[in-house]
Amino acid sequence: MKASAVSALVRLNLRRDRRGALSSLFGIAVGVSSLVFFVALGLGISRVVREKVFPVDTRLVEVVPPQVALGGLLGGTLDQAAVDRLAALPGVDRAHRKMNVRVPAVCRYRGDFFGQQLNMGLEVIAVGVDPSLVQADVQLGKFEDPGAGQPIPAVAATRLIEIYNKTFAPARGLPQLSPAMLVGFSFPVELNRSFVTASAVGPSTPGTMQLVGVSERGLLAGVTIPLEAARRINKDHGADAATFTGVTLETSDPAQVPRVVAAVKEMGFRVDDAERRLSENAGAAVAITTLAMALLSALICLLAALNIAHALSASVRARSRELGVMRAVGASRADVARLVRAEALVLGASGGALGAALAVAAAFAVDLAVARFVPDFPFKPDAFFRVPLWLPLAGVALGALAAVVGAVGPSRRAARLEPARVLAG
Amino acid sequence: MIEASGLSKTFEDGEGKSLAVLSGASLRVARGELVAVMGRSGSGKSTLLHILGGLDTDYAGQVTVAGQRLDGASDEALARFRNTTVGFVFQSFHLVSGLTAAENVALPELFGAHAADAPRRALEALERVGLAAKAQRNPAQLSGGERQRVAIARALFLKPPVLLCDEPTGNLDGATGAEIIELFQRLNREGLTILAVTHEDRVSAAAQRVLRLDQGQLV
Repeated sequence: MKASAVSALVRLNLRRDRRGALSSLFGIAVGVSSLVFFVALGLGISRVVREKVFPVDTRLVEVVPPQVALGGLLGGTLDQAAVDRLAALPGVDRAHRKMNVRVPAVCRYRGDFFGQQLNMGLEVIAVGVDPSLVQADVQLGKFEDPGAGQPIPAVAATRLIEIYNKTFAPARGLPQLSPAMLVGFSFPVELNRSFVTASAVGPSTPGTMQLVGVSERGLLAGVTIPLEAARRINKDHGADAATFTGVTLETSDPAQVPRVVAAVKEMGFRVDDAERRLSENAGAAVAITTLAMALLSALICLLAALNIAHALSASVRARSRELGVMRAVGASRADVARLVRAEALVLGASGGALGAALAVAAAFAVDLAVARFVPDFPFKPDAFFRVPLWLPLAGVALGALAAVVGAVGPSRRAARLEPARVLAG
Repeated sequence: MIEASGLSKTFEDGEGKSLAVLSGASLRVARGELVAVMGRSGSGKSTLLHILGGLDTDYAGQVTVAGQRLDGASDEALARFRNTTVGFVFQSFHLVSGLTAAENVALPELFGAHAADAPRRALEALERVGLAAKAQRNPAQLSGGERQRVAIARALFLKPPVLLCDEPTGNLDGATGAEIIELFQRLNREGLTILAVTHEDRVSAAAQRVLRLDQGQLV
């Protein structure tokens, strides 16, 4: 039986039974549209979590000293020798050292702040890192210790800027900041001074920090400065300048991470995976919610398939004589079954296409409405939905599949029809 | 043209008892003959026709039509046979609603690998039965006689050598039935082999030979 013949007969029957066809098509469209809508939402939210809220680099392992260190017996001191051993672990490409500025610091800012007069005091938390960790994000000068009396280059965290822009700045009427605006901005610091601790040993030292970039790898609640600068500040103020606060191990491949983590623990160090866990938990929560919605939608598709099965069964019963005539003029059993399946396929694919189109339109409308009417909040994405090309195509395929599965029974019944019986009389 | 021997078929009645409608029936119809098979209602006339037309496969015996052996043939082979070798005319016309007369006539084209000039050939077939003027009408817009003419045109569309008719005038009034019988006679004169099962004397009167089905046997 030629494809053109199948097409002609399918069109004829759908034309004659518009109401039944629309009912079947509607069921499939509802199932597919909800599936595409929720999966697109899940993909969009996952992207926000992964890229904005918890931008975890899956190749990195954060090593920190154990909470209780028993000297050098069980490991625990994160000195240069330990860093060398960590860097030599199989699968580790690089080890980026980190050292906190171990003396308190404050910033007292009075003056023009991007067109607005500002009078503010802040406790400054700073961590020194190997330049290689953030070098890619540095946009001004070299990320190295400039020596005493010179402005210390500092990198701010991308997420800190986001939180400032979405919560602090609107609340205080301060200007919105972009990374490009911040690069080159200098602010005074007083080392060995605190607003919150009772006292600091020794005199305070005035200095300046200059923002030279914004990085995902920057310290969230503070600034990131060159390791040697942190080491110098600690040394100058009598604080520990020999051991490190942490080491970021960069693996060659995310698949190496579990092995590296095990080796690190064997050496007596801890792995700070709180952020990674948060990211994974948030991702899992989104995935589970998406899966639940997708299953619900798949259930709707299943019900639609049952509806199609019911409708096609009724149609086959009503057309038994007509199918008998087709057998009499040359249709085989396989031809008749193919005809019923083709009808279902057309209904399913059309319903799937309609559903996918409705879902994409709805997603676009929701994104537009959120962008227009929902106030800004931290990490608010440009779009909550992500619709990769495969998603609507998969929706169409699912609609077609559900319909064809629904047609299995009716097509078999149609093929089993005995023309001699239905044409008698 | 048609040869059948030892045809037997049984049905189960509502109480599960076997009921033999054909019991070793045999017949032979020569090329170009117009043969009528008569019998009382329920005697197995339609069953015989369905077996000879490859629509019924659940029987015992041997059947050969236009050189093609039907008993034991595959479903695909029987479908090709019905498409090219025999044409059916039913008492109830069995036209497909939603299709025009011409589209109904061309229906066999959809199930075979034929040339793509179906509309022209459908019109030719309708001309042959005197209904070319109503080619674009739907079955609902045609009279009973006209519908039967469309059904005959459909049966003749692919120019089969054999026409099998099941009570072809059963639903027609006297004058219309006579026109159809006249049409059969004309087609038979043109060389078509026709086997008609009927209980109407006017059909048997037009046949060159009349067989009677009685007690499952053709006499």
